[in-house]
Amino acid sequence: MASAVLVEVFAAPGCPRCGRAKTALARVAEPFGDAVRWREVDVVAELDYAVSLGGRATPAIAIDGRLAFTGLPDEAELRRALAERLNPPSETKENRP
Amino acid sequence: MAAYRIGQVSRLTGLSVDTLRYYERIGLLPPVARGPGGVRLYGEHDLARLRFIQRAQRMNFTLEEIGQLLAMREDPQNARDDVRRLTARKLEAVEAALQELTHLRDELTLLLNLCRASEGGCPIIEGIEEESSTTQSGQSSRKNSTR
Repeated sequence: MASAVLVEVFAAPGCPRCGRAKTALARVAEPFGDAVRWREVDVVAELDYAVSLGGRATPAIAIDGRLAFTGLPDEAELRRALAERLNPPSETKENRP
Repeated sequence: MAAYRIGQVSRLTGLSVDTLRYYERIGLLPPVARGPGGVRLYGEHDLARLRFIQRAQRMNFTLEEIGQLLAMREDPQNARDDVRRLTARKLEAVEAALQELTHLRDELTLLLNLCRASEGGCPIIEGIEEESSTTQSGQSSRKNSTR
């Protein structure tokens, strides 16, 4: 089993779609339990960090320190990305009994 | 071949005529061709050299350093070792400045996109203030996990 995934949602004050992105992320992360941790990154407060990850707009989502989605995420794609991160395809093939 | 009088070159480059004459006098520019009546006639090569000088000055290179870089520019294969070393050092300085500018560009892009998407207010000013205070304190402002 892979270690817990850290998901970061990049948001900003007054960003109308950021709230929806956070809601979507919370909904997608919920079934994964402790395997998925997430936090909100205020890009204004953490500008350097947001830029270093390639953030150019909000909302955006990074998985384990890598920018994965820009804009409002498609929940199915986000779910798939998390599942793949927790169970990489090669690991699944080789390690499954 | 195009030839420009000193007044034209001054307008094209923004350098004063005195500065143009000075550059020629100290050797940053080779002796400029002369036309009827002894008027200076600058060619494209001279203009390119002047633009190089201006770019280097904007990077805070001294005129002496610029003179050496121009020597490298004219004959890179036969440049002296000290000129090569200076050029390498200056290249590093340019790379560092480029990184700074790239980061600033990316920050401004992000802030401007926030402004465009914002329902009210513009976080650009707050962002710059935050950046300034973070730099001064040298501390990361990263928050803890929300979950």
